[in-house]
Amino acid sequence: MPLTTVARGRVYEWSHAVGRGAQSGTGFNYPQTMCLAKGGVAYVANRGNENNFGMRVNEVKIGGPGEEELLAEFFQWGEGDGRSTWPFGVATDGRDQVYVSDEWNNTISVFDSKGKFQRKWGKTGSGDGELMRPAGLVCEKNGNLIVVDSGNNRLQVFNGEGKFLAKCGKAGSGDGEFNQPWGVTLDQAGNIYVADWKNHRIQKLSPQGKFMMKIGEYGTVPAPAGAFAVSYMGPYMSPAGTPGYPRAGLLNHPTDVAVDTDGDIYVADWGNHRVCVFDAEGSPVANLIGDAQVMSKWGQMSIDANPDMMKARRRVRSLEPEYRFCFPTAVDFDPETDRIIVADSQRNRLQIYRKVRDYVDFQANL
Amino acid sequence: MAYQEDIALMAHLMRRAGFGAGRDELEARVAKGYEATVEELLHPETQPAVDVYTLLRYQPASLLPGGQPPMGNVNFMYHLVNTKRPLEEKMALFWHHVFATGNSKVDNYDQLLEQIGLFRQQGMGNYRDLLLTIARNPTMIFWLDNNQNHGTAVNENWGRELLELFSMGVGAYSEKDVREASRAFTGWTFETKIPRLPYGRFPWKFEYRPEDHDDGEKEFLGHRGRFNGEDIIDIVVEQPACARFVCRHLYNFFVADEAQVPAWSIEPPRDQKAIDTLTATFRQSRFDIRSVLRVLFNSSFFKNARFKHLKSPAEVVVGSLRLVGGYELPRPGYGDLSMQPAYMGQDLLNPPSVEGWHTGPEWINSGSLMARINFVAELVGDPSLPGVRAIIDRLKTRGSLSPEQLVDGCLDLLGPVEVSSETRRELVAQAKEWGQTGWASETSAKTADKRVGEMLQLIVATREYQFA
Repeated sequence: MPLTTVARGRVYEWSHAVGRGAQSGTGFNYPQTMCLAKGGVAYVANRGNENNFGMRVNEVKIGGPGEEELLAEFFQWGEGDGRSTWPFGVATDGRDQVYVSDEWNNTISVFDSKGKFQRKWGKTGSGDGELMRPAGLVCEKNGNLIVVDSGNNRLQVFNGEGKFLAKCGKAGSGDGEFNQPWGVTLDQAGNIYVADWKNHRIQKLSPQGKFMMKIGEYGTVPAPAGAFAVSYMGPYMSPAGTPGYPRAGLLNHPTDVAVDTDGDIYVADWGNHRVCVFDAEGSPVANLIGDAQVMSKWGQMSIDANPDMMKARRRVRSLEPEYRFCFPTAVDFDPETDRIIVADSQRNRLQIYRKVRDYVDFQANL
Repeated sequence: MAYQEDIALMAHLMRRAGFGAGRDELEARVAKGYEATVEELLHPETQPAVDVYTLLRYQPASLLPGGQPPMGNVNFMYHLVNTKRPLEEKMALFWHHVFATGNSKVDNYDQLLEQIGLFRQQGMGNYRDLLLTIARNPTMIFWLDNNQNHGTAVNENWGRELLELFSMGVGAYSEKDVREASRAFTGWTFETKIPRLPYGRFPWKFEYRPEDHDDGEKEFLGHRGRFNGEDIIDIVVEQPACARFVCRHLYNFFVADEAQVPAWSIEPPRDQKAIDTLTATFRQSRFDIRSVLRVLFNSSFFKNARFKHLKSPAEVVVGSLRLVGGYELPRPGYGDLSMQPAYMGQDLLNPPSVEGWHTGPEWINSGSLMARINFVAELVGDPSLPGVRAIIDRLKTRGSLSPEQLVDGCLDLLGPVEVSSETRRELVAQAKEWGQTGWASETSAKTADKRVGEMLQLIVATREYQFA
């Protein structure tokens, strides 16, 4: 059954998984970012690849276990309005507008909530309002859009029509400087959190873009003795109870960040294959490493349709590698349901945890 | 003149021990010295590793690409184009050719990439250890059916190729030796992997099953005992035939084209003395490949072997991309780019058989020659690419160029490339139709850029340019 992660003052219960590998339709293809809309709906930006060209954004109802549902697909690979080359960031303003960045074409495209193309903007360059490899996106309460202008190592703010309003940041490793940043989020007060990817840290900025705090230092989680790598770049499956594994506070190319209603901060520690939880002051609290012991609905459909796969699964000595995150790219917190949603990119699924507020110790004598 | 000779020799070293080098790099390496450069190449750990994280940010599917091209090729090509450790990558290519394992059967590019990774790690280390690693490599085990080699039902595929294609060559062993070696490797298999649906690929893991191993007595190459696989490898590496086989492979790959491997039992080596030198080092160093390579690159037979090796498709593509620059990031279209060697007859990660590719003149046929020339010509004819721009800028500093100066300058900066007097005459004849080439005005500069590009295109279309 699903696992529960208990840390001092915090409990996280694994809820379920959503998705499977698919170039179109019910599944994902290397999610780069995601955003949440009302009613437990997620928009997921898929990078795809040059074999199946599964680039797209899909709108998915997360629901409870077994309730996943594909609602719409848009921004597929191709030329022209509403089409993409390298989809990256996705954000919604809660007012029927979905913004998507394309980091090859250096554009921001706008769709309605059902995926109908509305408009786009973007000019390649480094001047005000120009873009170079736009990555993560987030909408402010006033409807303005913050764009992680990754190639220019800065944030830019636009109104919903694409008019340039403000910018902050420059290349570097000092406070308020960036090195190829990836994801971005806001807390309830409108403070901005940026995954400063090549600087291996999270930076917190004020709503005006002033540096406030940084979290994390570079470090890879060492492979424990007897570990088994799920890919040649991890994650490493270790014998149970290895002391100090996984170590807290180290980040390796963090890709995204989320903040919950208590101020706790969740970081997609991409290169270490985990989500690190920090408190509001930036002290490490816990790590989530993936607990997908129960198949997603669409995943189960794949198995049911392929008896050879089911037989192969029965021959496998341990399914543990399948439970774990493999390069998780995106993390979001849903305040409506107290849920943490993680885009488990190399496994083409979302893993969903719930922050438990009424936890009682499990019955130990079963 | 002596300096020019140093440049030419360094260019030769970098073409063979790497994938070529532009003039700036050659000049820096000449300043550093030939032997010091060889040492740097032999110690890749002194240079930074390829930034795989950047690859995975832009092309995440290249980590676990499954069974369809081109994303596995994207991964390999990114390493080949970006490496600061050219000999490490060249050795990965070398061992991929020797221990040829192909996606046509394995159907898991991710497993092939993992195998390439072990070639990077161990390619310049101890050959005995490498042979043991490859014997335990699940990709190889599946490729040569050792997972079907049981104590009660022997499958000889791995045992045979171990002796025939991986260590000694035809003629150095008997059919009985094949049988006995195969018996020794019974029980060497892998765990069932988590299947590909619904969440993508998971890796194999080596597993030794003692209950499936034939522990009986075996007689192998004159030795008798209850051998296991590791014992077989220990006996194999001590054979004189093993040293000759490995060193002839190295000579063929790095020095000069040999006959194809199946002919080695009847065709003597091109340079027996060179092979003797290499085999002596192989045995004295107890199978240390780095020691053999050090002797090879510092030898006169290597230094005198300029343009005696027909470039493989991988060398053509990677050498061109590194020369012209601008292909460091995995941009859209990298998939097709990374399949270019396949279009020229070398489908990386998918060799035609366990024998690897036939090399030397067999790389060339009417189709592959056109593919080679067209690919390189398109690149060197583009003055917007940084490496082409660097050639133009160097020529520009020489002022107005006569037709002869244009030809000689382009030949020099593209290699130096050595061509026959007849080829040079033809190139000059073409340049004479253009007259003087100069950059004095904006209009003439535009024309001059174009002419340099066209001259480079003519040079890469010559017979001589196909050799390294």
